[in-house]
Amino acid sequence: MRNFDYHRPADMSAAIDAARAEGAEILAGGTLMVDLMKIGVREPDALVDITGLADLEGHDIGMDRIRFGALARMADVADDQTLKTAAPVLTESLWKAASPQLRQAARLGGNILQQTRCPYFRDTAYSQCNKRAPGSGCAALDGGKTNLHAILGGSDDCVAMYPGDWAQALIAFDAEVHTQGPGGTRTISFADLHVMPGDTPQIETILEPGEIVKHITVPVIPALKASHYLKARDRESYAFASASAAVGLEMEGETVRDVRIGLGGVAAVPWRARQAEEHLKGKSLTEETARETGRIAFADASPLEGSEYKIKLGADVVAGALMTAHARSQGGE
Amino acid sequence: MAQTLNTAVSRTDAPRKVTGTATYAADVIPAGMLHGALATSSIAVGTLTGLDTSAAEAEPGVVAVYTHENLPDYKSVKGFYAGGPGSASFWPMEGTEIKYAGQPIAYVVAETAAAARRGAQLITADYDSRPADVHMDPADSFVIGATGDSKGMVATKGDVPKGLAEAAQTLDVEYTTPFQHHNPMEMFASTAEWRGDRLTVWMPSQSVRTLRLGIAKAFGLPETSVRVISPFVGGAFGSKAGITPYAMLTIAAAKAVGAPVRLIVTRPQMYTVATFRPESVQRFRLGADETGKLTAFEHIEIAQTSQFDVVTNPGTHITRAMYASPNIHTEQRVARSDTNTGGFMRAPNEMQTFFGLEQAMDELAHKLGIDPVEMRRVNDTDRHPVEDVPFSSRSLMECYDSVSDTFGWADRTAEVGSMTDGDWLVGYGCATATYPTNILASNARVRMRGTGHAYIELAAHDVGTGSYTIFAQIAAARLGLPVEACDVVMGHGDMPVAPLAGGSGTAASAGSAVHDACLRIGRLVAAEVSRQPEGPLAGVSADRITLEDGVLRGPDGHSQSLVEALASTATTEVEAVGEFRHPALTDKLIRATFSGGYGTAGPVTPECAMFAFGAEMAEVHINRWTHEIRVPRAHGAFAAGTILNRKTAHSQLMGGMVWGIGSALHEVTEVDKPRARYLNANIAEYLVPVNADIREIRVEMLEERDDYVNPLGVKGIGELGIVGTAAAIANAVHHATGRRLRHLPIRMSDLV
Ligand SMILES: Cc1cc2nc3c(=O)[nH]c(=O)nc-3n(C[C@H](O)[C@H](O)[C@H](O)COP(=O)(O)OP(=O)(O)OC[C@H]3O[C@@H](n4cnc5c(N)ncnc54)[C@H](O)[C@@H]3O)c2cc1C
Ligand code: SF4
Repeated sequence: MRNFDYHRPADMSAAIDAARAEGAEILAGGTLMVDLMKIGVREPDALVDITGLADLEGHDIGMDRIRFGALARMADVADDQTLKTAAPVLTESLWKAASPQLRQAARLGGNILQQTRCPYFRDTAYSQCNKRAPGSGCAALDGGKTNLHAILGGSDDCVAMYPGDWAQALIAFDAEVHTQGPGGTRTISFADLHVMPGDTPQIETILEPGEIVKHITVPVIPALKASHYLKARDRESYAFASASAAVGLEMEGETVRDVRIGLGGVAAVPWRARQAEEHLKGKSLTEETARETGRIAFADASPLEGSEYKIKLGADVVAGALMTAHARSQGGE
Repeated sequence: MAQTLNTAVSRTDAPRKVTGTATYAADVIPAGMLHGALATSSIAVGTLTGLDTSAAEAEPGVVAVYTHENLPDYKSVKGFYAGGPGSASFWPMEGTEIKYAGQPIAYVVAETAAAARRGAQLITADYDSRPADVHMDPADSFVIGATGDSKGMVATKGDVPKGLAEAAQTLDVEYTTPFQHHNPMEMFASTAEWRGDRLTVWMPSQSVRTLRLGIAKAFGLPETSVRVISPFVGGAFGSKAGITPYAMLTIAAAKAVGAPVRLIVTRPQMYTVATFRPESVQRFRLGADETGKLTAFEHIEIAQTSQFDVVTNPGTHITRAMYASPNIHTEQRVARSDTNTGGFMRAPNEMQTFFGLEQAMDELAHKLGIDPVEMRRVNDTDRHPVEDVPFSSRSLMECYDSVSDTFGWADRTAEVGSMTDGDWLVGYGCATATYPTNILASNARVRMRGTGHAYIELAAHDVGTGSYTIFAQIAAARLGLPVEACDVVMGHGDMPVAPLAGGSGTAASAGSAVHDACLRIGRLVAAEVSRQPEGPLAGVSADRITLEDGVLRGPDGHSQSLVEALASTATTEVEAVGEFRHPALTDKLIRATFSGGYGTAGPVTPECAMFAFGAEMAEVHINRWTHEIRVPRAHGAFAAGTILNRKTAHSQLMGGMVWGIGSALHEVTEVDKPRARYLNANIAEYLVPVNADIREIRVEMLEERDDYVNPLGVKGIGELGIVGTAAAIANAVHHATGRRLRHLPIRMSDLV
């Protein structure tokens, strides 16, 4: 690891000033940042530790919206039983992420901004990686192993997969991100936060230098209550998703009135399957329609070598998640 | 006297381990110690054409950077498979040749570990790179060593094609297993301190003798000038057996820099600077009559090796001992690849081969419509099918009967896909486990005091298995002392010779030497008391006095406790060196062990075949939506002769089964083919089971008596538990889904 300066500002404006400096980076729980610094993938000149900004802590559940501070710990939110009843998808997707130790350390602002697990990105011995070293090529696409890469949203320059879980719930339920930076405060629709890799995979979000995520809000809608996060992974805990689905349902009698579907483990950025949502609206929810919806969610997927399984797996996971959400909408598990 | 053997005794070293006072190698900090770090090659095969160390040298805290140009010379020693003490025969940084990705190319010494690692990151290299393949090409394989001899790498009995022609059903299949890398909790580490021509090395080791001998040879020192210290080992599993490049480089760097140096290898580097479980192909051709009896048995194993060693882990030696068949052919082949030399990983000959064998038996049983357990029963044998000698003991079917009972095998409905539980498909599978009994020469010194204390010393190792405890138990049982009164000291190269901690041989061989030392103490004390003018055994001829459970007994009913007898002597203390020399041990084998090698007389001697056995059963659940594979239950029943400590043995067997679940469903080193590098060299992406993956594991240890193997009747249990697990799970997956998955690991991507 390279030597760096360390700041721990006590207020927001000092934090923004420190963080906008060339070569400075924001530090929250550090589970991503310190990890990448140790392996030489990120080499900031300065770290601006924002954990002293008390305003960014905690979360609260309002009538109309749920607010999450950017410094709320994954563990605290995952274990909130009130939230689990009101919006199971928001707790389940955190609870099934990482490990207890990591969830204690990691904060929600850092969580949504986590970076890909593409092994070529994380190992500097590979000279080709457009995300790490723009213009150097893509080792994954140059004959490498792509079974864990994006089948949705990738480009010719980068097919890295966005690995996070919670973001899938946020995108499905129209979350908003509230920030403050050198240019003042702004509200960003969660769907606009991450940008597709295109030919600039090194640019991952629309955040400006020094712009700090303060909190995240999720509007309360009926589909939140009958929601579910289903995550398929090779081991029972402490593994990234091979495929996952964040779903919610609002039923009107036998008919689906509203449905939300976010897809994890398969796409370059947090992914909302709008076409599949549209398909299911107005239909009844049966195993057949659930499976059909799952298939539509992956209609545009382009599998890479070794990742063909994700299309079928992803579709089955969407269907399974919808079945559980449906049971929940009927008052069952 | 409470029973101290065949009972559950907590580890004597547990308090030290949980309070952090057990001193592991890397805990020792000699005065003035500096820190080492390795820079490794990014290419797999080629030549180093340039190395820029200037940035590293300019980094604050960096003291020196060593490369092939300025590192002090040492004499290369041979790798283990070439009869030497090294983990491989090729030593990095001797020249510019690069033979595998992640090969050390420079060694940085600095005032802090952080500065050393930063220095290593700053080194840049130029290469002349050549194409490389991390995988072997099975088509390019060759037979190891001599042919024709059934003890050799090829064995033939009868006529396999004829046996296949006569069969009611045949099977011709191929299974593959991936390479797996060692991830013990304790990182690889080594600390070297030179004082003039005397050298001390602290390093976690499975064989301090091998290390001492090899280091002395490499640096041209008399063995007596080298101290190797390894009292505690945080998991080894085969990875800490030979001298590794990182240790040799550390010793050389410490010599050059003139100060003690400690290197802690990083987790990713652990994948390239030491041994691993080679990938393999297991080919089976089996034939059976309609009752299930085998008419033909052919097994060809092809295992991966490096360009500079021939890894010989002969799995077919083990599979051909399992089942009766009139016609048998086995072959042990290897194929080269551009990797470091592989080696041992828990059950190095058995894990891969039994994944093949025990699935093949299941496949054949399925074809014949025979219950898989019955398939094993009709082929059970009390003589070695090739060597035609009896088994010293063999309780395979007793194990099956026991595990069938606890597991509820009778509830299994034979038809594929016939069992479900809600959204989960359910499957039951079984498999045989075995492990050869190794017989190795060993010595041990025991000193006993009339105060009721004993000190046991030997150059054996507790690699986390519980050896400290069982040696104390053996001495306690023989000398009639409480376990706590027996102090065991191990892991120093200058103690009495004990074998390398591998092949599940420590308890059996080194334990037998401790046992023998205690009997000798009995004889020495008997001689003393028989000469005394008074006392219960005064005047009794010494050779008619025996030691039984700490009591000296004369022929006429007179007896005296050993402690009392010893207290009554003039010296009140006595010392003896015990020896284990099984009649099957030739001078050549004994010499091999005494010179740091592995001189085993097992598992087949001219009189007997010696194996521990087990039977494992697994229940597998497969989710219909996520296709996730989970193992809610795994049961195993094992018979391995005398169980010295039912608690530590249980842990060993259970740990083996846990690892077996990992092998079945999780573990694999992913490879980037074009650049011949590993992709998941870290424990976030190299999956092993976590707590949530392990639910019910049940271990039964059956009573079994074996008077042939050694005086304690002990076979080995350290590796037995892992052997059948992966096959049992694969068989259960087939039972649940009808899918035959002939590769490891089995993942949900295989089942969508
Ligand atoms: C082994 C391992 C397994 C994991 N498994 C999973 C998993 O299964 N599922 C899953 O979803 N995640 C998983 N994670 C990722 C984990 O959830 C993230 O590392 C964590 O949430 C990041 O939070 P942090 O507070 O530690 O962020 P940091 O490391 O401190 O920061 C992460 C990034 O966000 C930026 N940042 C942080 N806070 C702010 C802010 N308020 N404003 C602007 N920028 C900010 C930082 O500059 C940095 O770029 C895993 C991580 C590890 C190491
Ligand atoms: S997929 Fe993206 S992150 Fe991975 S190697 Fe290619 S450019 Fe780098």
